Amino acid sequence: MTDNLLLQAILVALVAFFGYMHSYMGSTMWNRPIIVSALTGLVLGDLKTGIMVGATLELVFLGAVPIGASNPPDMTSGSIIGTAFVVLAHEPVAASVALAVPVATLVLLFDNLQMTFVLTWAAHIADKYAAQGDYKKVEWVARIAGIGNKVVLAVIVGVSFYLGIPVIKDVLAVIPDWIITGMDVAAGIIPAIGFAMLARMIVTKEMSAFLLAGFLAAAYLNISVLGVALFGVVIALVVYYGSKNKQANEAEVTVDDNEF
Amino acid sequence: MTTNSKNTISPESKITKRDFWKVFTRSCTLDSAWNYERQQHLMYCYMMIPVLKRVYGDDKEKMAAALQRHMEFMACTPHIVTLLCGITGAMEEENAKNPNFDATSISAVRTSLMGPMAGVGDSFFWGTLLTIAVGIGVSFAKEGSILGPILFLAIINVPGFAARFYCLKAGFGYGVRFFSDMSATGVIEKITKAVSIVGLMAIGAMVATQVSFSITYKIGVVSGAGEPIQNYIDQIMPAFMPLVLFGVMYWLLGKNIKTTWILVAVIIISCLGVFLGILG
Repeated sequence: MTDNLLLQAILVALVAFFGYMHSYMGSTMWNRPIIVSALTGLVLGDLKTGIMVGATLELVFLGAVPIGASNPPDMTSGSIIGTAFVVLAHEPVAASVALAVPVATLVLLFDNLQMTFVLTWAAHIADKYAAQGDYKKVEWVARIAGIGNKVVLAVIVGVSFYLGIPVIKDVLAVIPDWIITGMDVAAGIIPAIGFAMLARMIVTKEMSAFLLAGFLAAAYLNISVLGVALFGVVIALVVYYGSKNKQANEAEVTVDDNEF
Repeated sequence: MTTNSKNTISPESKITKRDFWKVFTRSCTLDSAWNYERQQHLMYCYMMIPVLKRVYGDDKEKMAAALQRHMEFMACTPHIVTLLCGITGAMEEENAKNPNFDATSISAVRTSLMGPMAGVGDSFFWGTLLTIAVGIGVSFAKEGSILGPILFLAIINVPGFAARFYCLKAGFGYGVRFFSDMSATGVIEKITKAVSIVGLMAIGAMVATQVSFSITYKIGVVSGAGEPIQNYIDQIMPAFMPLVLFGVMYWLLGKNIKTTWILVAVIIISCLGVFLGILG
């Protein structure tokens, strides 16, 4: 689309801003790799590669969810930089993993500083106005804090892109082949971590059969994930309405731990 | 609120439909100023302001007390937090009307409901629904299809915004009773269970289709002419290695090993495996 590095950096920063704004616009999860990688591909002139990198990184970051007080690696920045590199340097899709994971980890460190000091400081300012009953000022602090931290992160992504991409090319040129292939192998294994984390969140003993059913349907019958999920909907409906009718029999409540 | 011809959400309420939509819009920002001290509190307060403004008007003192109340710690699932907004909003209005109302009960309700709500909501939205969306989205995106990102967004956000809307409506409508009624009749558990089935089946299918691992090391009598070990493994069962890997990860996570370390170990083992010619 354009070879102007500065213009590309600005576009990339805008993609990052859009991604980060997900938490200001409904927690839509468009900060996730499958979306921001596609958008990065789009602004850098290769949508298709962007989407494919997004699929790979989405699985790598699958377990990265903000639950309770734990914050996952910053997959937005990682995905954008990783995708930009693959698209611009015409590297294989798996090379994005080598870049995305360290970038995501570094940016989380920075974001943690914001969430520990800057946003807490903003909250204390809002406290002061709240005590005075000045809701208008509380509103403004909230808006500036909510959007401001995203502007900061987007600028970081844009600057890292501008400074980093030329350097990264040189660095990766001296990395031996077996590490690049190794990342490819790792990208095939890493999704298993995310799946296991998700399974741990959802599974109970009585439910584990459904996990196996989904596996077997895909492995032996070659049904796509969408197909398996749709069969899952059918079974879920049967179970839901089935349990509605025999509610009277459910006097005894079984307590289930979350272990196999 | 649908049968009401006036512009308030119910005949006995001062809160207007416009306020309702303002709270709805502002609820979208809940996670945006997250901090380690009180998590989502700032945006929760922001979200409540349209209601507080309506019910307290120019009463600075009561407004200050209410603002401070909602600046307290908040941790809830953004997609369903509106239920809590509705409930506490209805209570704030009661507090403005009724001089005998104990305002500390608002804080109490806020504190006691956010935990259980987050328990249900987090595992639903960040767990099950995300799993299904990723599973379906990635299966298309892998081929470079634009349907991948589009389906992903639709699967997350159609239920997300619907939940946001109905929770706010229910919150204002039923007040405090809503959540306890729902849990008492077991509706939440049943919905959770039904959706978990879909999620687990999607995980199973993803393990089979989206984890890849093969041992390329060849065994045979004549060196260089043997068969890769993988060919033997494939005869046992399709996607056997992915299932084994999934089991290993599941087990490791149960040992409370940090994910980052597992990730690092996977990368190192993969690189070494390629270096030694076992994987590739």
